[in-house]
Amino acid sequence: MATVQISEAEKVYIVHGVRDDLRVDGRGCEDYRHMEIETDVVSNTDGSARVKLGYSDILVGIKAEIGRPRPMVPDEGFLEFFVDCSANATPEFEGRGGEDLGTEISNTLYKVFNNPHSVDLRALCISPKEHCWILYVDVLLLQCDGNLYDAISVAVKAALFNTRIPRVQISEDDEGTKEIELSDDPYDCMRLSVENVPCIVTLCKVGQRHIVDATLQEKACSKACLLLSVTSRGTVTCVRKIGGGSLDPESIFEMTETGKRVGKALQSPLMELLQKEESLGKKRQKVGFLG
Amino acid sequence: MPVDTKRVRGPDESQSPLLFVLPSTGKPECPQEGREDGRQRSQADVRPVFARCGLISQAKGSAYIEAGNTKLICSVYGPRETDRKDEVDMKSGRLVCDFRFAPFSCPKRGSWIQGSEEKALSLGLLESLLPAACLHKYPRSQIEVNVVALEHDGSVLAHAVTCASLALADAGIEMYDLVLGCALRQDGPSFLIDPTFAEESGAQSAGSGENQGRVTVALLPSLHQVSGLQSDGEMAEDTLVGAVKACIEGCQRLYPVIQQALARAVRRKAPPTAV
Repeated sequence: MATVQISEAEKVYIVHGVRDDLRVDGRGCEDYRHMEIETDVVSNTDGSARVKLGYSDILVGIKAEIGRPRPMVPDEGFLEFFVDCSANATPEFEGRGGEDLGTEISNTLYKVFNNPHSVDLRALCISPKEHCWILYVDVLLLQCDGNLYDAISVAVKAALFNTRIPRVQISEDDEGTKEIELSDDPYDCMRLSVENVPCIVTLCKVGQRHIVDATLQEKACSKACLLLSVTSRGTVTCVRKIGGGSLDPESIFEMTETGKRVGKALQSPLMELLQKEESLGKKRQKVGFLG
Repeated sequence: MPVDTKRVRGPDESQSPLLFVLPSTGKPECPQEGREDGRQRSQADVRPVFARCGLISQAKGSAYIEAGNTKLICSVYGPRETDRKDEVDMKSGRLVCDFRFAPFSCPKRGSWIQGSEEKALSLGLLESLLPAACLHKYPRSQIEVNVVALEHDGSVLAHAVTCASLALADAGIEMYDLVLGCALRQDGPSFLIDPTFAEESGAQSAGSGENQGRVTVALLPSLHQVSGLQSDGEMAEDTLVGAVKACIEGCQRLYPVIQQALARAVRRKAPPTAV
């Protein structure tokens, strides 16, 4: 992962600041950096979003394709996650350098969505055992400035909110051959409910306390992080300890509590914002990538 | 195109017939009942474990662990000179973990190439072992940990962690503590500790769709620190906390067995004491 090297003195400065609930950029321990969200940024996708958190910049595009459902769950569609760490973000990602981080993030995303409530997979089924929608969620890291997981989860949620899947009908003729019919109206689309899509909150243990949304410098002071994905109802869908340190059980329990609180608090403004942006309609001025 | 009529043309892709067996042939378990193998629900009732060190003579250290039908073998090579010369931090050693399922270990045949699930498990294993190993004692070198699952019957990551820490200890790598793993399947209000493959992947018990999940914890038992934690599914926060506590208790249950296996290995290796 993109890391920075910092000196002992800098570390002490950061750790002491965190102890007094005042971080280098003036935030408290449970505050996020400024976040920018824009949906519908790439025209060739069925849903897309770009999220900028500090200088971390994430672009997510979702494409829906028709495929065969998995034999184990014949009446559900599914999601596929791919994370590409482009060498634009840091030179370390050049060639196959970003591959490990990419698989790590996509495996985590699979776990985050590995429960029946997050996305209504049954709605993605066209005809059981034969056809279903597969949503390819492609994540592109444009810039890395710490806290990738949280930014990615917000971007995925925004892109899923923005996703419009064409409505299709199955018609059967006299001989029993089935045909898929696409609706004539291009605006006749199906949308996904993102009410239960979780957001990831990564808590880094710095000194005796834990902080939300760590920058790269703060991450360098932390031995172990705890990643939690929290839904709007406050349930936890995925937990992972990241990093080479260990955690005291008590501090894990504290961190889960904080994570749940922060995650819940993150969800409602996010939904509000997405709805507000959509209500602006076509008139909305697009900011684009370099805005 | 001429068609070979003598040959039966099968479908391009074959699937196990077991997938098409109607589900719910089994009884819808009610939470009060015990489990299929006679263990109790909602208790730290781990499967009996058999552990042995030093099976692979070529390796620096090795271990074999068996819990129910979950069977794993682990070997440790090194410390030897690192093959990555561009590493920035040469002051401490590098730990490399490689987890693989044998192709015949799961109900469905796997391939020899490491899949993304195996990569995720390798990473989980590495993150669980890192806090225990004193890597600063091995500058400029790397230690390789290879785990192969011979038979997968649930809780495979948890037992892989235990097995790997046993092998590391057998190899004489300096460690702060052993690492013990324990898995749990939360099933509504009750939980199943150290679940079997069927329990792990099985459909949720009738009625409750809430609080379904899987948790794996790695514990440093004498320091009482959690070195690894993974979960998926969906759980309320207090359920998750309860599940982690149950896993910690499950790990503690394993401790004497693992200690015994290690002591046995050390006794065998030690030169006969001159009296």
